[in-house]
Amino acid sequence: MKCNLKFTPTPQLVVRKIIGTIILILLITLTPSTHPIWFGLEGILLLGLLWWRRVPPRCVLRRLLILSPFVAGTALAAQYSATGVDWKILALRSTLCLLTIIAFAETTAVSDLLRGLRLIRVPTLLVTTLALMHRYLFVLADESSRMNRARAARTFTTGRRLAWLQAASVAGQLFVRATERAERVYDAMCARGWKT
Amino acid sequence: MKPAISVQGLSFCYPDGLAALTEISFQVARGECVGLLGPNGSGKSTLLRHLNGILPERLLGENGPIQIDGTPVTSLHLAELRRQIGLLFQDPDDQLFCSTVAEDVAFGPQQLGLTAEEIHQRVQAALQQVGLGDLAPRPPHHLSTGEKRRACLAGVLACDPSILVLDEPSSGLDPRGRRELITLLRQITATKLIATHDLELVVELCPRSLILDRGRIIADGPTTTLLNDEALMLAHGLERPHVLQHAHPHRGEPR
Repeated sequence: MKCNLKFTPTPQLVVRKIIGTIILILLITLTPSTHPIWFGLEGILLLGLLWWRRVPPRCVLRRLLILSPFVAGTALAAQYSATGVDWKILALRSTLCLLTIIAFAETTAVSDLLRGLRLIRVPTLLVTTLALMHRYLFVLADESSRMNRARAARTFTTGRRLAWLQAASVAGQLFVRATERAERVYDAMCARGWKT
Repeated sequence: MKPAISVQGLSFCYPDGLAALTEISFQVARGECVGLLGPNGSGKSTLLRHLNGILPERLLGENGPIQIDGTPVTSLHLAELRRQIGLLFQDPDDQLFCSTVAEDVAFGPQQLGLTAEEIHQRVQAALQQVGLGDLAPRPPHHLSTGEKRRACLAGVLACDPSILVLDEPSSGLDPRGRRELITLLRQITATKLIATHDLELVVELCPRSLILDRGRIIADGPTTTLLNDEALMLAHGLERPHVLQHAHPHRGEPR
């Protein structure tokens, strides 16, 4: 689910965007904690970018909320470790990094991202794997919702133990079907000349 | 003239011991359109996969059971063979594996090592041919089943195959999608082998049919003769199609 409409950018623009995102993340991680004012500036820059690209604030908040366990996890680890890292600075740093990634993800279509990755010479096998994963995520999600619906249509009793058992069997079935589909997809790739 | 497809005594067992194909022999002449009929599990899909070289090593070789355009299917010729044979899979989601329709159609030509300009031309031509010119930048999961099927066909046609092998091309299509597919297939001049349950489609497109049941070829002959043989049809999980039973209100007598 994407929150805003995409336009088709030129490949050069996507490459610049990928490189820009990496630089911004490096900048955030390397900002010295003795100068917190820099975090403020980076935050303003990011919010400005999000506002400029018209990413709805609710969407950003929702994404942040989903990712917040990661921030909390690293902050907690810092609090109880003996390294002496301030957990507040660490939480701020991770939040800013996540905002950068959200800004990138919300303004880039997956097909453009893949094209950009190919252009910056990311190994083809990795890009192909990413592309296939993105393509079949939706097919598998559809398949699992169909299986769940079919299960619900014939579930007449309630009971936690039974529900868990059924969920496990749906997950297992989904795995088997995904494996079979992977084989068929590979056949289809070979049929159109994929070099083995 | 050498036949486009020649199969002599092909047998195949799945690893669990299930005999999927037993002593299959038939030939398809160049430009012919042949229907491959049979009940579920009769071995139609297995047979089609063998034609494309997705088959075990032991069946490859100079004396192997399958010849395409007079050339035996060997591991040396596999790439050339796959260029010659376009295989349309039963489930379009298996075949559309790229993130956009245009990328998917370009997949075959890219594997052929064509230049960017040639690839672009082939993609445009194939999408125009199947009437999907506007959908090129769309991701496949946003297409309807009919559009997916046509996108798959575009991906196959972009490789410019001389033989088209289609596995249940009309399954899951609404009447309009099915009609469009039949019109499209009629325009394609390549040799065609169509495995299907859609008997009306076979009557329309294929002058000749093969009937496959339990991995064996039961009958091989003119479609109308075979499909009019009610006893034969019923014995192998099929039936006489309506188009052969009843007079058409405009066209008159049944075929």
